[in-house]
Amino acid sequence: MESRRFGCLSMTGIISAALTLVMIVGITIVRGGVLFSPGTLSAQTGAETWGGVQSHAEIQGDCAACHVAPWSSETMKDRCTACHLDLKEQFQDPESLHSLLFIDNTLLTCIDCHPDHRGADASLTVLDANRFPHDSAGFSLNAHQKTSTGEFFVCSDCHETDITKFEANACERCHRDIDAVFTQVHIETFSHECLACHDGVDTYGSSFNHNAVVFPLEGKHAEATCSKCHLGASSLGELQSTPQECFACHQEEDKHNGEFGENCAVCHASSDWEEAIFDHTLSNFPLEGEHANIACEDCHKNAVYEGTLSACVDCHLEDDEHKGEFGTDCSQCHTTSNWEGAAYDHTLANFPLEGGHANVKCEECHINQVFQGISQECSDCHREPVYHAGSFSADCASCHTILAWIPAKYTEQHTFPMNHESDGNNSCQTCHVENLETYTCYECHEHTPSNVASEHREEGISDFEDCMECHADGREHDD
Amino acid sequence: MTFNNRELWLSFFAILLITLVYLFVVISTGSVPAAGEFFGHSLGIFGFTLMIMTEVLYTMRKRARSARWGRMSSWLKFHIFTGLVGPYMVLLHTSWKFNGLAGIVMLLTVLIVASGFIGRYIYTAIPRTADGVEVASSELEQQITKSEAELERWLSARAATASSLPKYLITTEEKERTQFFFIIGYVFLEWGQRIQWWQQKRRMDTAVRAQIAQLEKMIQQRRVLHRQVASLAMARRLLSLWHAVHIPIGVSLFTAAFVHIAAAIYYATLLH
Repeated sequence: MESRRFGCLSMTGIISAALTLVMIVGITIVRGGVLFSPGTLSAQTGAETWGGVQSHAEIQGDCAACHVAPWSSETMKDRCTACHLDLKEQFQDPESLHSLLFIDNTLLTCIDCHPDHRGADASLTVLDANRFPHDSAGFSLNAHQKTSTGEFFVCSDCHETDITKFEANACERCHRDIDAVFTQVHIETFSHECLACHDGVDTYGSSFNHNAVVFPLEGKHAEATCSKCHLGASSLGELQSTPQECFACHQEEDKHNGEFGENCAVCHASSDWEEAIFDHTLSNFPLEGEHANIACEDCHKNAVYEGTLSACVDCHLEDDEHKGEFGTDCSQCHTTSNWEGAAYDHTLANFPLEGGHANVKCEECHINQVFQGISQECSDCHREPVYHAGSFSADCASCHTILAWIPAKYTEQHTFPMNHESDGNNSCQTCHVENLETYTCYECHEHTPSNVASEHREEGISDFEDCMECHADGREHDD
Repeated sequence: MTFNNRELWLSFFAILLITLVYLFVVISTGSVPAAGEFFGHSLGIFGFTLMIMTEVLYTMRKRARSARWGRMSSWLKFHIFTGLVGPYMVLLHTSWKFNGLAGIVMLLTVLIVASGFIGRYIYTAIPRTADGVEVASSELEQQITKSEAELERWLSARAATASSLPKYLITTEEKERTQFFFIIGYVFLEWGQRIQWWQQKRRMDTAVRAQIAQLEKMIQQRRVLHRQVASLAMARRLLSLWHAVHIPIGVSLFTAAFVHIAAAIYYATLLH
């Protein structure tokens, strides 16, 4: 039957616990706190003696020399400065390194940088990049966790000989490994004084993605060097506060002298200044027809956009082949699509184009682009035909209509009956074959030359050449 | 009594998982996690909690004697699991430094784990019910009589099959051995028997092999019962002796561990 009492409460258990406690207390009394020490204290010695000892190893076991009770108002830092009087002096100066560290980092303790219990030979200063508040020393290590070779940074990578001094070419050496071309350009642009601008908060380089921030680099912006926009920025705050408005950077490049406001993006894309797209309908001069195909500067000379004159003649004065004869409003005849094919309303002139005139090309009447002062007399355009044989005046309209030259209607006195053997619509050429001065009766009816000659010889008439002399009324005479 | 090693496998996988996490932390930080830092400290806290559970829960269950709290065999498995994983986490918590009291605590931890292994070995030599109640000698004798009768019936029914086996494999006579040998050496003896049976079975047809396997199981059961009867008194004495050593080590370990924890809180955690 097993005992129902817990083993630790058995006699052997109680004795064991008591013996263990006695041994711990005994060793503590004899050797101090060595049992609780996580490791040997450093035997590193300095040039001076602090607190009566030359190394921490001399106070091994005297835990209370450095450790304070949890309920004490005293801190471990107070214990440190109780011996290290030089540090106590440093803390009086708010600009000293140690003061800066403690001012910025209220939770910082001395052992964060100066741990002990790590062996007699161990260094008392361990600036673990993950723990040391390097920001307080003026340079954050957030972006400097690993070197260009992928190894974790150690202090000597930047502080070759003295932990408090920065090696001048440390940045350049590593960054040339990462991107030699960029580093060279960057140094030529900004000099070797990296720390003048950089405080380590930035993550410039291949890992930095500008498109992830509020101002993605698109088009030409992607080709710009950092300093184009971030000139003089030396902290993350300054980088982030870089103005994002177009005019903040491009004011000097503004060819419009501010006439279009400060938001370039209304017309321009980041790809190219030249590829501006202005919605001209926003102005009172929409670009239609050929106007839509011309370059801005054709109208907006010297990049003056406001107050541009919009009358046709303001731009097309030199194009005006009419030399101002039709005034300044080209749109009365021309459209924006083409100069050619102008449609002039000839009724506006005192000469409506009717009949045969409607199909005549302008230049047939308006020779040498002369439009004004053109005579409206028929004879100025229409020469009298040879057929008339100079028989008529210049008043064509007395016989001809505007529809066509033929048929024409003779309205004057005609000695020979116009309705001879017909309804009166005989053509002039019926009798006046060659011209209006001559006539012939031959080849009409039975009047062949042989018939006429035979009939007249039967009557003893030998002179019968001029028919009209005897037959003025067109009748046959028996007497 | 059946026994499998599932808790040992579970312990192995838990230890493997913890080791992988530990290695990941070591590789990603480039250093061994210090005992006082977040990861190292967590290992210590969880590991010690498991050790406390190892010590307290099983002990409480042993004294409860009530099936309501689960079978003793299950609690023993849990006891073994936490008793292996907990100390391993505490070992990693040390960051491989064994100074002062922390080093003593680790040493005692190693001792208690080693002692636990021995204790488990002795414990299993004493036949128990699933609820952990020891089986009396008289009951063991009855089980032997029953087992031998059953074996006899089987042999008479299958005389031809039995005759194909060497006599020493099915003899009812056990060699005279010391009780101590039965406890310490029974593992070797058992494995020797299994090898002999295996050699016999591999020469037989498949159909006969199934019958022989049945016979082997019966003879093995008889063998275990004989051994338990022969070594019961010695096993009880050894278990008592083991308790006399194991309990002081355990109490010392936890006493020293609590002092270590108090000192760590005083000197490190509450340091300001």
